[in-house]
Amino acid sequence: MHGTVFDTQRFSLHDGPGIRTTVFLKGCSLRCFWCHNPESIRRPPEIEFYPERCIGCGACVALCEHGANTITDDGTVTYDPQQCTVCGECIDDCFANARVLVGRAWSVDEVMAEILQDRSFYGDEGGVTLSGGEPMLQADFTADLLARCRAEGIHTAIETAGHYPWSTLEPVLPLVDLVMMDLKHLDSERHRDGTGVPNERILSTARHLATETNKPLLFRTPVIPTYNDAPEVIDRIAGFVRDLIAARGDACAARGETPAPVRYELLRFHQLAGDKYRGLGRANRARDLEPLSKAQMDALSQRAHAMIHAGDPTAIIPNAQ
Amino acid sequence: MALSLDVTELTYQQRIDALREEKLRCTREKQTLLGDMDFDDWGQILPPEDQRDYVHVMSPSGIMIRDSIIKGFEVTSNHPSGGFFGPKAVGDNYRALLEHHPVTIDPLSSLAGAYMLNFTSYRRPHWNPDLSYEHLKPVQEQYQLLHGIGGMQHLTPDIAIGLRLGWGGLLDHIRANRASHGPEKEPFYDGLEAVVLGAQNWVQRHAEAARALAETEDNPQRRRNLFEIAEVNAHIVSAPPQTFREACQWLLWYEMIARMYNGSGAVGQLDTLLLDYYEADVAAGCLTDDEAIFHIACMLLRDTMYCQLGGPDRAGRDVTNPVSFLVLEAAHWLKIPANVAIAVGRGTSDALLRRGVEIMLEDKTGIPKFLGVDNTVPDFAKNGYPLEDGRDRKYSGCNWCGIPGREYGMNDLIKINLAVVFDVALHDMLADPTVTPSIDLLEQRFEDHLRRAVATIAQGIDFHIAHMHEVFPELVLDLCCTGPIERGEDASHGGLDYTNIAVDGAGLATTADSFAAIRQRIVDEGRLTWAELLHYLDTNWAGPDGERARLMMKNVPHYGHGGTLADDYAARLSQMYTRLVLEHPTPSGIKMLPGLFSWAYTVKFGEHLGATPNGRHAGDLISHGANPDPGFRKDGAPTAMAAAVAAVQPGYGNTAPLQIELDMSVIDQDNAVEVVSQLIRSHFELGGTQINMNILDKQKVLEAHEDPTRHPDLVVRVTGFSAYFASLSPEFRQMVVNRILADD
Repeated sequence: MHGTVFDTQRFSLHDGPGIRTTVFLKGCSLRCFWCHNPESIRRPPEIEFYPERCIGCGACVALCEHGANTITDDGTVTYDPQQCTVCGECIDDCFANARVLVGRAWSVDEVMAEILQDRSFYGDEGGVTLSGGEPMLQADFTADLLARCRAEGIHTAIETAGHYPWSTLEPVLPLVDLVMMDLKHLDSERHRDGTGVPNERILSTARHLATETNKPLLFRTPVIPTYNDAPEVIDRIAGFVRDLIAARGDACAARGETPAPVRYELLRFHQLAGDKYRGLGRANRARDLEPLSKAQMDALSQRAHAMIHAGDPTAIIPNAQ
Repeated sequence: MALSLDVTELTYQQRIDALREEKLRCTREKQTLLGDMDFDDWGQILPPEDQRDYVHVMSPSGIMIRDSIIKGFEVTSNHPSGGFFGPKAVGDNYRALLEHHPVTIDPLSSLAGAYMLNFTSYRRPHWNPDLSYEHLKPVQEQYQLLHGIGGMQHLTPDIAIGLRLGWGGLLDHIRANRASHGPEKEPFYDGLEAVVLGAQNWVQRHAEAARALAETEDNPQRRRNLFEIAEVNAHIVSAPPQTFREACQWLLWYEMIARMYNGSGAVGQLDTLLLDYYEADVAAGCLTDDEAIFHIACMLLRDTMYCQLGGPDRAGRDVTNPVSFLVLEAAHWLKIPANVAIAVGRGTSDALLRRGVEIMLEDKTGIPKFLGVDNTVPDFAKNGYPLEDGRDRKYSGCNWCGIPGREYGMNDLIKINLAVVFDVALHDMLADPTVTPSIDLLEQRFEDHLRRAVATIAQGIDFHIAHMHEVFPELVLDLCCTGPIERGEDASHGGLDYTNIAVDGAGLATTADSFAAIRQRIVDEGRLTWAELLHYLDTNWAGPDGERARLMMKNVPHYGHGGTLADDYAARLSQMYTRLVLEHPTPSGIKMLPGLFSWAYTVKFGEHLGATPNGRHAGDLISHGANPDPGFRKDGAPTAMAAAVAAVQPGYGNTAPLQIELDMSVIDQDNAVEVVSQLIRSHFELGGTQINMNILDKQKVLEAHEDPTRHPDLVVRVTGFSAYFASLSPEFRQMVVNRILADD
């Protein structure tokens, strides 16, 4: 079994509890205009080109049969993604790392080998997070990986957008210890404006998760300036989470279970992805957005906390920076 | 008109804040007048301006420094070279120095004294030229060995002996033992006596000065404090300390006298040393925890002594006690460079680790550091020693520990730069017309040259042990050891039960990455020939294709990435190094303990080394100790680094510390304490021996690198020691910056 993975990150601290290894799967069903991982959006492998690293050796020009790479007399190399078939021939010879291949087929064994390297550091809390992109777009690969982690006794988490039928996620859930899911906007039209898709399926997935499972859940909102940073927008999302907490409480009561925590946090927008947009030759539509200050984020967090507080006082955790 | 009297009463915290400000002022003055200080931030203060002069000298750590000395004080030579050698001459000169040393009393501190001088700066030359080791020099120079001959201290005294006897008791002990030895031991006992008499003179003058100051002091709090300082010091001129404050004062005197004598900062198990005094004073109702913290802070203010908190006693029970926590709090109050270490193991205190990590996260001063006692203890026993002796070993210096008062170690003094040995081996193979170059042959040549380097180190150790006592004996540390006074033998000359000499390898990553680069690019891929490699190395990657070739070699997956060729080489090289160091004792039968640690020599060790096959330019610094090179992995994962360093441990009681930097912006979250503690515990569970950790505000470090005056109070753990960032040379600041920028 192979999947398209574009990165792994060991000592990942912001994608679930404890020390984790995060595996980033390539391909996403959303097109968020601010995406922090633009290289995650398309499923096929891509090439990022960073001309400032290029030493003008010309090796890539000689190797490219498709004319995607050219060099001028003064040694300036240019790259035309339209001509490129992403065969990867030029990558191994670009010792300056001006060309980076994003995404390749990884076997489950290969990913597991990477995951197991940090096994001693996971402790009781940490583990593995499958992120993306959208891991559920590679549902079989995701399920295989989760099953292998489970067999190794490693805590598992997934970060998903939830934009699919419930039947996609449901069979995987027994292998998952924590589900993290973004709630970007409660207004479906605005959701479509920002992400390219309406939110009905996403909200439905969230409701299913809250009531039909008793998995720990972490809902998150990336706070994007001019898009969803208005207090009333956050209020609505927080209100939705409050209702989910209540619904879980009822569902668990009916089943005679103690409800597992449902939490909510705000994520701060940042401009660190600018380089990646440039490397991919893709327009960065969030380029001119000014990230919110810590004080603004704290104020929004407090509002959200107040909104949810009527439910479970532990439901909110401080916003991640 | 009524006189206005200053009757302000300051809290202990306020007094510490004021003392810290004064230290910062002194540090800025030292930075201006002495220049860069690429070593542990000692508590040394400058002599009064009208008595001050400057010299350029070799420091006790073997680097050239500009130092201040006192005008008008001259040592007495007993040798045509102008130097002074042997225990009597050394002891007499040191006594004279102590008798000339100015008195320092800060009415805000509870303890008297501060040191202004390094005795070593008066030793010119350091080595007696009659004792030649010319026969060793060609090989020492070929491999650029840090051979340790003439190296000092780096052993752990048993300060409990001094605390029990006091200066008077030590003097009686010396005199009693002198009587049972013949005249040939007279110079040694003369030297020991001279040191004690000099110490008593210095302490006595402080007692008198404090009384005189008290009599003219108007502020009631300061006046009271000065009278107490006078009483404390008058009492311990001869008698052993009785109270917690007296014990801190005695320990500080001993530590400053050892530091001035030859740079020793070794204290060992500080929490145990002070425990009886603490318990007695608390039981008597005359000591609060805040006051105890204050006394400890006043002590740490004057010297960045190396000490251990927690860890096993001889029977294996954790010794963590209330004083362990008070020492941590004292370092926390101070927020200045300090070398406090916490033992971490299965049986040690979780609470102590937790508090240590909390302080490290809050202060961001690289304090404390962490000791993997579950490994170092049994590792030491692998040398054929009882486990109990392994447990006795206490942390006392950058990367090392020792049995207090019973083990001579030359720790951190001897270094073999593996990258230089590799460079010699590579050139040797490629210049040999009778062989066809190959990776196996290169490894064989490397082993041959490494064996030769180790053998030369071993001969140097024997030479040192044979002669150091007649050049510059360990007169201060001898006082608090078991053996020297009783046997009439210096610690460096068989005076102690154990002699285990630490021999450290350096530049492991530079070497392992070089092997891997050759293996992949020349052998496996055939992209480069041996002749081309030689050309590029010898021309420092010059020529139109030089940079491309350099990047090609540099791009090979590095040691630290995990599962790479370079990781395999690093493990193999460490095993080879360990085997060669352990293979034979020195010719006279002294045991050598292999470790991996370059101290602060990563810069110096690279200066005279040509380009290396890992894509390193000639003259660039080498890799640090057992650490992967910065940039070893795209995500720079600290876990990857921690796993890598744990996998290359020599494992015989000497260490291979993990030097690790964590950016505060990455771990700034509510479970940061758990995450950092988990990282520490896991490294030790995998076999790690020691962790030097910095939790840094990256932005602040970068700002301070650009303009050191912007953050004069920024403290970083450079290696085994911590220092003010602004005191470091531009090269050392760059070294720290490289480590934190590598994963960008």
